[in-house]
Amino acid sequence: MAAEVGKSPAPSGIVKGPQAVVGGLALVALALFALWLVSDLSQGTLRSMGPAMLPRWLAIGVGICGAVLAASGFMREGHPIEPFTLRGPGMVVVGIVFFAVTIRGFDLGPIRIPQLGMCGAGPLAMFIGGFATRDVRWRDLLILALALTAACVMLFGDMLNLPIPLYPQWFSDLYPASFNNDTRMRVTAGILVVIAALVYFLVPGSKDPSINVVVDDTPGVQR
Amino acid sequence: MGELLGHLALGFSTVFNFVPVDIPGLGTIPIPLNILLCFVGCLVGTLVGVLPGVGPVASIAMLLPITFKFDPTGALIMLAGIYYGAQYGGSTTAILVNIPGEATAVVTTLDGHQMAKKGRAGVALGIAAIGSFFAGCVATVFIAAVGAPLTKLALIFGPAEYFSLMVMGLVFAVVLARGSILKAIAMILVGILMSTVGTDLETGQERMTFGQQFLSDGIDFSTLAMGLFGIAEILRNLDNTETRDVVRKAIGRLLPNMQDMKESALPIVRGTFIGGILGILPGNGAVLGPFASYTIEKKLAKDPSRFGRGAIEGVAGPESANNAGAQTSFIPLLTLGIPPNAVMALMVGAMTIHGIVPGPQVMTKNADLFWGMIASMWVGNLMLLVINLPMVGLWVKLLKVPYRLMFPAIMMFCCIGIYSINSLPTDVMFIAFFGVIGYFLIKLGFEPAPLLLGFVLGKLMEENLRRALIISRGDMMTFIERPLSGVLLAVAVILLVVALLPSIRKSRDEVFVED
Repeated sequence: MAAEVGKSPAPSGIVKGPQAVVGGLALVALALFALWLVSDLSQGTLRSMGPAMLPRWLAIGVGICGAVLAASGFMREGHPIEPFTLRGPGMVVVGIVFFAVTIRGFDLGPIRIPQLGMCGAGPLAMFIGGFATRDVRWRDLLILALALTAACVMLFGDMLNLPIPLYPQWFSDLYPASFNNDTRMRVTAGILVVIAALVYFLVPGSKDPSINVVVDDTPGVQR
Repeated sequence: MGELLGHLALGFSTVFNFVPVDIPGLGTIPIPLNILLCFVGCLVGTLVGVLPGVGPVASIAMLLPITFKFDPTGALIMLAGIYYGAQYGGSTTAILVNIPGEATAVVTTLDGHQMAKKGRAGVALGIAAIGSFFAGCVATVFIAAVGAPLTKLALIFGPAEYFSLMVMGLVFAVVLARGSILKAIAMILVGILMSTVGTDLETGQERMTFGQQFLSDGIDFSTLAMGLFGIAEILRNLDNTETRDVVRKAIGRLLPNMQDMKESALPIVRGTFIGGILGILPGNGAVLGPFASYTIEKKLAKDPSRFGRGAIEGVAGPESANNAGAQTSFIPLLTLGIPPNAVMALMVGAMTIHGIVPGPQVMTKNADLFWGMIASMWVGNLMLLVINLPMVGLWVKLLKVPYRLMFPAIMMFCCIGIYSINSLPTDVMFIAFFGVIGYFLIKLGFEPAPLLLGFVLGKLMEENLRRALIISRGDMMTFIERPLSGVLLAVAVILLVVALLPSIRKSRDEVFVED
């Protein structure tokens, strides 16, 4: 690890280890926040501990660690802050939250978000989340989203009977009344697979190699 | 000895138990359900574990819901299968792609990948499987042998001893975590702090809940684990440009020849022994096993310069140590109810979901579960040997799946998995929240594993601390005056001091150098 520190560009100014400073201050902030949250609870005595005793002392411990860490960032050279992107976390979070609010519907104040079930929420969430990488290929992503959802319907719905909404009620009502639940699930999965297959055969795909495979065989080529 | 055999017999009869299952179209047929579950667990675990960037913790977190439908014994057998399947799959990735799925596979990349580059990938995989199988057999018997006595020891533990034991475990976790010791301590404290969120069991008062209903039961363990290990891992991998060093050379023959076997036999035995012993240590001792084994093999070798260039001992030893440690790390969980690492913390979560409180009472109350699980480990290891070697071709294909297609699938599995536990949309949002937290923790150089361990042990620690203090009428000295507790705390203090010594710190940094 020491070798890495040497390689990083010399940090300027009084902050010598930005990573330690930011990390330390974050811990101090968390500690203060926790202290404020438990401030109106009683601490009790050692003999009969109150609800605030442990959280308060833990928060103080976290605060001390944070302060020492932040101080060390001023004293000696440390790691720079690693570059981070907002696109990745942003799209993945949007995808997950989308799944959360549409899986069985969600009341957001006056607005009622409709239930889409796994067959709607799943592929859409995957499609949204898939945009987290710069290397988006919407055709592949679409096929994956549809096919995997079909597999999930069969696995979680048909085989394992998990209590998870699969599709909205109006969709289920489209099937003839003679179809029982299992048949409806299987037919729905079949429809998803058919759409995925249509996309696969009808939409031309790009010919680039899908990942960079290191061709070089010399030792020392490491990730 | 007779007792041991009796226990193992009970275990195997549980594993080979035939359960009548209603199969549509065929009527009710008795099938060996537990064996089947063990097989499926191993297979699925390997499948997921092989995917680069998905370690055992993420695999178990993701696959937890598929075990819900089964009885606790079957579910835990399956989960254990997923665990060592994922572990084994991780070794395959380490050898073929040079990406360690988790800390314990780092060592395997050193010589394993070099062997693969020399066209000996098959032999590397073969010896890893054989070594792991041997280690698994020994570890199974070992667990069965020490399980019963340790459980008896656990019964004489009072609250003070339990508290001190957990403190020692957490100190181990701090010392064995990668990177800064201070950061690891901070993470453990944050973990325990997070475990105090929710209704205080003693007084019934709500702590740090913001008056929100969904927080009054505390932060949900599965959401925390899935966020920190499943989602955060995706976010981190998205930042790396994707270059995979997939071996282009032929895999070659799988079975090692006599010369290979001769060279590997002793390293396998030594690795098994070292890994097995280190695995029992609370606080993720298993992570040390492969490192220790590799170092020893290098020291003992006639020509140490071969290491790092494809020495078969450098794969055989650490891989055996890895598997032995993975299995013996079940001991603290099964006998004392204390999870020693993040994977076992997940097992606690799984057991709780199935209504089993981990601890010494499991062995007496759920004897068939306890021994069945242990016996299933041996069966699982045998299956891994049988499943994996012929299917290497399939795993190589899996290694070529690009990450841009893998991560939406992982994301989807996490969403479905977490939703199916409690049917709460807020849980799904929480995994996104903890995922982002985990992402920034990684970016700031904090390890999420100690946090999770602190979180799991936090509730138990507070409970035992309180009880111990009630018994001692508020006297803190009880932790030092009680002999067993005092010894445990002394070990913890010595360990921490030693780890902080400058010379040890330096060599520790070398061992845990960034993968």
